[in-house]
Amino acid sequence: MSSSSRPNPSAGKNTPNRKTGAKRERSSRQKLTGWLEQHVEACADALNSLRTQALNTFMSLVVVAIALLLPALVYVAGKNMAQFGDSLQNTNRISFYLEADITADSVQTLQQAMQNHPLIDRVEFVSSQQAAADFTTWSGLGDVISSLGNNPLPASLEVHPNNMLAETALQIRDAFAASQGVEQVVMDTAWIERLESLMRLTDRMVFALILVLSLAVLFIIGNAIRTHIAGRNAEIRVMTLIGATRSFIARPFLYSGALQGMFGAALAWIFLQGLLSVFRGPAHNLLAFYGDQYQFIGMDLVSSLLLVAGGMILGWIGAGLSVSRHLNQY
Amino acid sequence: MIRFDEVSKRYGSGHQALKQVSFELDQGAMAFLTGRSGAGKSTLLKLIMLTERPDQGQIVVGARNILRLSAAQIPFYRRRIGVVFQDHQLLYDRSVFDNVMLPLRIDAYDKHEAARRVRAALDKVGLLNKEKMNPVTLSGGEQQRVGIARAVVNRPQILLADEPTGNLDPELAAEIMLLFEQFNQVGVSMLIASHDLSLITRLRHRILTLDQGVLVKDEMHPSRRDTPSRGADI
Repeated sequence: MSSSSRPNPSAGKNTPNRKTGAKRERSSRQKLTGWLEQHVEACADALNSLRTQALNTFMSLVVVAIALLLPALVYVAGKNMAQFGDSLQNTNRISFYLEADITADSVQTLQQAMQNHPLIDRVEFVSSQQAAADFTTWSGLGDVISSLGNNPLPASLEVHPNNMLAETALQIRDAFAASQGVEQVVMDTAWIERLESLMRLTDRMVFALILVLSLAVLFIIGNAIRTHIAGRNAEIRVMTLIGATRSFIARPFLYSGALQGMFGAALAWIFLQGLLSVFRGPAHNLLAFYGDQYQFIGMDLVSSLLLVAGGMILGWIGAGLSVSRHLNQY
Repeated sequence: MIRFDEVSKRYGSGHQALKQVSFELDQGAMAFLTGRSGAGKSTLLKLIMLTERPDQGQIVVGARNILRLSAAQIPFYRRRIGVVFQDHQLLYDRSVFDNVMLPLRIDAYDKHEAARRVRAALDKVGLLNKEKMNPVTLSGGEQQRVGIARAVVNRPQILLADEPTGNLDPELAAEIMLLFEQFNQVGVSMLIASHDLSLITRLRHRILTLDQGVLVKDEMHPSRRDTPSRGADI
């Protein structure tokens, strides 16, 4: 202690240096707190500027919400339609319609032969009465059959192949089409393929719609951010002069973009719930005809979170693009 | 602290703002930069702040060639320099306190420490009782003092001022200069651009005179030496 106090003049000289050096010696904890506070402030700043321009903000949120609503709506519609697709997938079977005068013995023999075929999983006999009953529950048109008096539906052997390939179905058809008592062979494969390509087309359309409307969201939010930047011209100039980094200046705008995207998506979710509640009643009535097999599917939690997160990310990217274009002039 | 070697600057318009300017300012020194409007005073300060770049020559600040700083380093370099502007460059959408706080927010100070420093800076310029007011309600002299508090709050090693007394009456101008001298006394290097010769010759500091971009005079304490080249009052 005594040795350090001796060289008085040099200690005096060091004082200003120590003063200026003091700010570099902040503890890492202080720096972290400072950094966190910068983020909290940037977020609060963004919220505040959205609030002060409430009308503009609301308008752009509504536009963002509509842009996000459309793909979400198509997504929900697609998911409901996919249920039908799935249940039809399970009915990949070959129907061997039998002649009306076939004997029970012949049916027995044919069924046994089919059962022994390596590509066939199982065979069901459906009598013409059974077929009529199935048709009634499936279509809801039971009155039509009973009004005919005479049951027009033939008995059939329903063959379930052990795989889903169209080729397998063709081999089975060729093996038994010429058998005695078989009147007609009907395969669902063509119908399934058609449905599959329809679903693929729908998927593509949803994808294209999401792409186009995401671009729209980018532009809407990018433009809103451009206006914000122009409105804070003086502040940005001063901050640049006193040593603000680009990322510090950009931060409130990025938060603003992300928040607009998030709020827009949340608004889209509310709109969507409104629309779904309008559809739900009639949809339930329609699906009731098909028994418990189908249910009306709304937005589940994961999809809802994805929607909001997607909106947030789009808003952030839109703001980032705008910031990188418009902050260059400072 | 600041060294110019043969620095020239020509603007895109063809105007030659500075011609082969060389000088050196020691650490802890105080100097005035004078000359008519358009003589290149502002350009010289802008070159130090790196808002403009020279066409020729070298500029060394704090033993560092600042022309070699990357774009990412420039903000951190600027934080070591306090700048006072003629038109204050205050933000009128926030209080005096928040204006002075700005450099500390940029440097990610935690709120507690920052508030302490802001109050210390405001106390130094005598505006502690006006921290909650909007700068637009203050007089020109007070606004300039807010600008000075903002420039020194981060404890810079160098303070630059561009016509800091340009819009003030002589009494207020003298007060501002007194404030600068106080900062200089605690070790801050100062370079002040001013065309107010009657004021600055009274203050007995070094005076650099620019004329059409050329450094024509570099006088130490001119009034003390009583050089007849410049009258005490013009």
